[in-house]
Amino acid sequence: MKSAEVRQEEQLRFAEYMRAVAEQRDKRAFEKLFDHFVPLLRSFSLAAQPGASLLADEVAQEVMIKVWQKAHTYNKEMANVTTWIFTLARNSRIDYLRKNSRHESDIDPTNLWGEIVDENSDPFQAAQQKRSEELISKQLKGLPEDQQNALRKVYLEGKTHKQVAEELKLPLGTVKSRVRLALRKLAISIPR
Amino acid sequence: MLKHHPSSELLADYASGSMPLSHSLCIATHLEQCDICRQQAHKLNQLGAQFFMQQSSTATSADNDLKAKVMGCLDEIVFSTDESASDTPKRTAASNKVDSYKPPKALKQFLDDSYDSLEWTTVSPSFKITTLLKDKNGAQIALSRVKPGGKMPHHRHTADELTVVLEGSFSDEGGIYKKGDFICRDSKHKHKPVVTKDAECICLMVLDAPIEFTGWFTRVLNPLVRRNHAQS
Ligand SMILES: [Zn+2]
Repeated sequence: MKSAEVRQEEQLRFAEYMRAVAEQRDKRAFEKLFDHFVPLLRSFSLAAQPGASLLADEVAQEVMIKVWQKAHTYNKEMANVTTWIFTLARNSRIDYLRKNSRHESDIDPTNLWGEIVDENSDPFQAAQQKRSEELISKQLKGLPEDQQNALRKVYLEGKTHKQVAEELKLPLGTVKSRVRLALRKLAISIPR
Repeated sequence: MLKHHPSSELLADYASGSMPLSHSLCIATHLEQCDICRQQAHKLNQLGAQFFMQQSSTATSADNDLKAKVMGCLDEIVFSTDESASDTPKRTAASNKVDSYKPPKALKQFLDDSYDSLEWTTVSPSFKITTLLKDKNGAQIALSRVKPGGKMPHHRHTADELTVVLEGSFSDEGGIYKKGDFICRDSKHKHKPVVTKDAECICLMVLDAPIEFTGWFTRVLNPLVRRNHAQS
């Protein structure tokens, strides 16, 4: 696993590539992003739909074209490049899956997940978002493996708690409490 | 400030895209009104990005084919302009509507700028309902509209029910719910909501299975709801 410093440097480099794509339509910078993210995008699709290499291709292509198209809306104060691309990938995967089998639905997801756009960002927010990013990546490593595993299945495989419970042969309540405990430790919980 | 929020587990299911779209619709509607949950959702995106980057992945020859394809078409792709900015004027231009409500963006697929443009089924003098969609997974997406001080008919949940208050407020045994509040009830719950006297109340309701009303007018109502259901 990469150290925090290495990862931070990597994110800075990605942000530079994004700027080059946005301002100079720099294809070499785009290629760097492509080389790094396409294998991840492919794994992400295959995690939800094993064996569906066509879907993996389509999602990867759609996301990378969006990166090219929307590079100018990316603001590094709002999110790091990986978070931004993760949200594009999630949105794209949702749309492909609803047209196929997994979540067959007539609901148009376009208006349901806002893209992270360059709006009302202030220094305070930027600092806060950086802090939560650091906290999450640090605390995540300290979580018990069973909690990490439950979250990983939800995020990467796109499984509901119920599906995770069935797969792991655990009571639904156990899975739910693992997720709840993990989120609490990551400081993701709503004050009541 | 809003008091009733989705749980952080539900927000995680939304941020990961693992919940049904009908449920995501309710979360998205709530997020439009709730800064706190938007912040949590952003953190949940950051968490998702952590898992995303930890994936084991190796470049394959298919990546090179895809790269050739994508690089080849870059010159034809124009920078997209901000879509949300371009449809703002359209919204404000439609000023001849009757009510002053601004329906949530999340419901854009179903209605443009006015609840009045929908076909409402009058169920009782104070209660109307309209079905926006009966989704492929059996979920029913509906809006309810209750006059000030009106009661919502007793109903039984045959499955989980999510409610988001779009306008006005109502109360039940659990408390008072205001514009933007998010309520999740399971099938065991039987509740008797009453709308507050100051204003009408419009709610988004998402049910995993069609709603069933209980009480004296059940026989009148259920066929109506079913018809409403079938029409969509
Ligand atoms: Zn909230």
